[in-house]
Amino acid sequence: MTMTKFAVVADGVEKRYGGVAALKGVDIRIPEGSVYGLIGPNGAGKSTMFDVLCGITKPTTGSVNVLGMDVTKLPAYAVARRGVGRTFQRTAMFKESTVRENLLYACYGKMQHSVLHRIFRLPVWRHDMAVFEEKVDEVLAVCGLSELRNNEASSLAYGIQRRLAVAIMLMNDPKILFLDEPVAGMNEAETAEFIQLLRTVGCGRTIVIVEHDMAAIGALCDDVMVMVDGRAIVTDTPDRALKHPDVITAYLGADDDQRW
Amino acid sequence: MKALGNRSGLPLKQLGLIAFGGLLIAGIGLGFESAFLLGLAAYTCAFAIFALSVNIMLGGIGEVPLGQCVFFGIGSYAPAIVMQQGGYPFEVGILIGMTVSAFLAILIGWLTLRLTGAYFSIVSWGLSGVAMVTALNLEVTGGPLGLFGFTRLAIGPFDLSSPKVYFIASAVILLVVLVFLAHVRSSRFGNALESTRQSSHLAQSLGINVFRERLKALVLSAPIAALAGSLCIPYTQIVTPEVMSVIRTVDALLAALIGGTSLLIGPVIGAVIFTILPQLMHFDANVKVLVFSLLIIFIIMVAPGGLHQLYKSAVARYRHGKKERA
Repeated sequence: MTMTKFAVVADGVEKRYGGVAALKGVDIRIPEGSVYGLIGPNGAGKSTMFDVLCGITKPTTGSVNVLGMDVTKLPAYAVARRGVGRTFQRTAMFKESTVRENLLYACYGKMQHSVLHRIFRLPVWRHDMAVFEEKVDEVLAVCGLSELRNNEASSLAYGIQRRLAVAIMLMNDPKILFLDEPVAGMNEAETAEFIQLLRTVGCGRTIVIVEHDMAAIGALCDDVMVMVDGRAIVTDTPDRALKHPDVITAYLGADDDQRW
Repeated sequence: MKALGNRSGLPLKQLGLIAFGGLLIAGIGLGFESAFLLGLAAYTCAFAIFALSVNIMLGGIGEVPLGQCVFFGIGSYAPAIVMQQGGYPFEVGILIGMTVSAFLAILIGWLTLRLTGAYFSIVSWGLSGVAMVTALNLEVTGGPLGLFGFTRLAIGPFDLSSPKVYFIASAVILLVVLVFLAHVRSSRFGNALESTRQSSHLAQSLGINVFRERLKALVLSAPIAALAGSLCIPYTQIVTPEVMSVIRTVDALLAALIGGTSLLIGPVIGAVIFTILPQLMHFDANVKVLVFSLLIIFIIMVAPGGLHQLYKSAVARYRHGKKERA
């Protein structure tokens, strides 16, 4: 019997903002290499849970272990340096810069050179640039952005910008990727292309997605956790979870006679 | 700020620009004989260095450092005090001013850079007020009268009391600062600053310690501001508490905005306009202030990204027209 390895293990996670409890004791186990969805109606606590798992928000109580590290004790940048990538729904890229510059900024963790190395063009700087040029070609090719490397990010179409957001994260070779509503606002064709991209980059990586598009969740995720009112109510495969009576009630509301 | 991230190889373009800068300095330095013009040009270089230091914060991390005049003031007072109280040479005072301002920047940054936007600006403005009152009341700074009557203002063998030497020395230092900052911008540190300015959340999620990079930016800008403060002494010949006035920072901020915060030489362009233009206006002093202020408002309204934006849009319009004609 093989033991399942977990990329994310969180127990009894609670998060309170003053008197309001956004998370009310959530447990989560995300197997390594899987694509995992966090779904639920608005205000369910998905985004808070997402931020807690990435180390951006610290829980009030509970333990959160991602890739073997206790993210509650680490600042967000330190969590990112240890192989955790995260895209944001809105500020997912550096809009004033070109595609190549975006990827150059993202390569920060892979570079070692100081200003002095740069001034005197020392081997450390040369090595960093060589590593970057190699990596940038690879990532641009995977994300289908090779032709757009010198375009300004703000001039790109919305679907392309979402690809760039993924490319930015890939520059650091993350072991786990957290994607915040990656297909929100995309048309059907863009969504299909994006799902294909995630399947490609997902090989060997754990991916966690917060998403409202159930078709995308169904196409991508191995498992989903449905959250309602700060609690996890169902954890199952997307098909089974979406047919669960509690989930249907949460999304569509209880019948009048049940409610009263 | 734009990242360059050049491939290896001879930086011919950069060397060409440096050679052009050198020729320009030699041309002005050797071509002009007027002590007034050379002195003014030298002061403009010093002011441009200060505007560049302000722009490390403004264009670099997107903060308005109203308290930057504190470092400028330290740079002015340090050589003055060192020369008059200790009998040490001017250069030693410059180095002491730069070192003290760098250490003070660590302390000030540690306390204030967790704040952003208006909160950071207001706190740093408050610090400049504290510094000014301190300078007004200390004996070592000469109180409200300040310090004056310096015997030897020289950097090594270069006597800055000669307007020609003063200009060439200031302009060469400005060129060195520009070359240094160009390399900073295209380094890993420069990339971290630019990403922090555009989106601190995203920068953080890429493993960048946003607070540390912001602190490094302040620590980098402080000695440059102090250097500018020192270089102004041969022109002003006096150091008073007004060197710590927030108005000095506002002038430098305007210079950076006029020239363009995203362009490396933007603050230099702005500084040239800011110091030379009023000299060309032969009006009554009050009318001069009014006209100059209106002119600045007009420039900022027409080209909010800086004057270089006008050039860029003219080039874009020309190319667009050429394409349409074809």
